[in-house]
Amino acid sequence: MIDKLSEEEVLHTAELARIEISKEELSSYQIKLKKLLDDVDKIKEIKLPNSDDVNENEKLIAPWSRDCVLRSDQEGGMLDPKEVLLNVPKKSGNYIEVPVVINE
Amino acid sequence: MSKYLDLELLEIHNLLKNGKITPTDLVLEAFERVEEKKELNCFVTLDKEGALQRAKELEKEEIKGITYGIPIAIKDNIITKNLRTTASSKMLENFIPIYDADVVRKVKEAQMIVIGKTNMDEFAMGSSTQTSYFGPTKNPWNQNLVPGGSSGGSATVVSSRIVPLALGTDTGGSIRQPSSFCGIVGLKPTYGRVSRYGVIAFASSLDQVGPMTRTVYENAVVLNSICGKSDLDLTSVETKEDFTRLIGKDIHGMKLAIPKFYISDAIDSEIRENLQKVVSFLEKQGCTISYVDIDYIEQAVTLYQIIAMGEASSNLARYDGIRYGYRYENPKDMNDLYVKSRRFGFGDEVKRRIMVGSYLLSGENATTYYNKALEIRNEMKNSFQNVFREYDLIIGPTATTKAYSLGKDLDDAVKSFMDDILTIPVNMAGLPGMNLPIGFSNDHLPIGMQIIGNHFEEAKIYQLASFIEKELHLNLNPNEGDTNV
Repeated sequence: MIDKLSEEEVLHTAELARIEISKEELSSYQIKLKKLLDDVDKIKEIKLPNSDDVNENEKLIAPWSRDCVLRSDQEGGMLDPKEVLLNVPKKSGNYIEVPVVINE
Repeated sequence: MSKYLDLELLEIHNLLKNGKITPTDLVLEAFERVEEKKELNCFVTLDKEGALQRAKELEKEEIKGITYGIPIAIKDNIITKNLRTTASSKMLENFIPIYDADVVRKVKEAQMIVIGKTNMDEFAMGSSTQTSYFGPTKNPWNQNLVPGGSSGGSATVVSSRIVPLALGTDTGGSIRQPSSFCGIVGLKPTYGRVSRYGVIAFASSLDQVGPMTRTVYENAVVLNSICGKSDLDLTSVETKEDFTRLIGKDIHGMKLAIPKFYISDAIDSEIRENLQKVVSFLEKQGCTISYVDIDYIEQAVTLYQIIAMGEASSNLARYDGIRYGYRYENPKDMNDLYVKSRRFGFGDEVKRRIMVGSYLLSGENATTYYNKALEIRNEMKNSFQNVFREYDLIIGPTATTKAYSLGKDLDDAVKSFMDDILTIPVNMAGLPGMNLPIGFSNDHLPIGMQIIGNHFEEAKIYQLASFIEKELHLNLNPNEGDTNV
């Protein structure tokens, strides 16, 4: 059994997660992620109750949830823009500042 | 130093009612204890000024109930208006919420006084409170050991008698396992019993807030205050009832089930011995005990890894460095801002879980892993339901071990999940489950048992737990040494 992921696999996973990985961290993630993924791979050996075909059995996403209920169309409490912006790391007046989106 | 906070809730209440002491006395005493126990590192943020101010306000208010004026600590992933809430992460190091979580609003309405925010594993990911950005919390029974986690700070403040009450959250055992390691009563309520509005999400289909207290009765009292439906959490359910109502009632004829897996060799022998003593006692009291199988219970950790990491990767996508939280200083563009804010804002355990979760949900993997896990989860829930058709409660150990050394297996990506193997099934099925202290190991560390009920049957858990608690009459105060062993 291969005991670590390839560099490409780790970088792909990091990209999916939108997390940058440094060169120094890469080798440690190759081993640690592989260990976790091997562990979750155990699910492949578990036999499903009724049909071997995944998606044929009933799923439980959450213990339950209420039917979607819409609240009455009435004006509720309002937040002050100052409060809303209180935790914004970088702002300009009542705007949230972001860097350039397309850098070409 | 006064010792009012060592008294039982009812005694404290009587002193307050008769004007012998004031809420201010209790707050000042709690902060003296905070100072005295500083080395345990149980708090991320304290609010002495706010707590004293609230105590003064309460002194002008009418006493509404038994929780009047009682100091309480809140786990740091439950947001508190104007009081820093970090989830023990650098990502939220400077985050000041602008509203209270539903449960915080409710404890305030019940006249409790929030004194601070307790340490935890970062974003509740861990079982030892060692992944906190603010350093590990120490076990009050032995400071070289972990308090368990992720609600390790809450377990420690209650166990070490800094405050009588705390709130924790439980996604896979994060209330029950630290309660077991620290010798306190911790309940994960039925999924939906308590509103999650204002709780920093980890895995939304598993998360639940619950009370962590010194005694069974005090636990039920706090649940009375925090339960109920909220329009801001569509999974919460209206269920007003008095959870203390069956406490002290006879347990003769109660039918109890023990899953065979819960007494296997994987469990520390001292824990099994202590549980066996309780089982013998319960049989003498007229309970019947049977050993049962629950489908897929052995695979609960695998299900948890897939479902919890999948949900976490989605929930934690909100930390983008833009609207709140840590922001990387000089990004070259928008994508650079995301990936660098997340690289430097999250700790290792959190990053690993987000990465694996994202991978498990991507493309075809969603079917291979996530959908299959949901199908097995459904079977497991049905299997629990079948047991509850015949039995009142399920019992077993809470944890496979007693508290272990700080630093042990910290770097092991898989080990922390195994800590929760006996508690995870309860979250999967959305059931209520409690840790009740039942004894000590040879080296005098607390050992706990787990009592699991059918959906919305917390009152029955409290009934059995209070009966055992009364019989055992343990001295669970770590400050009092070996006086009553």
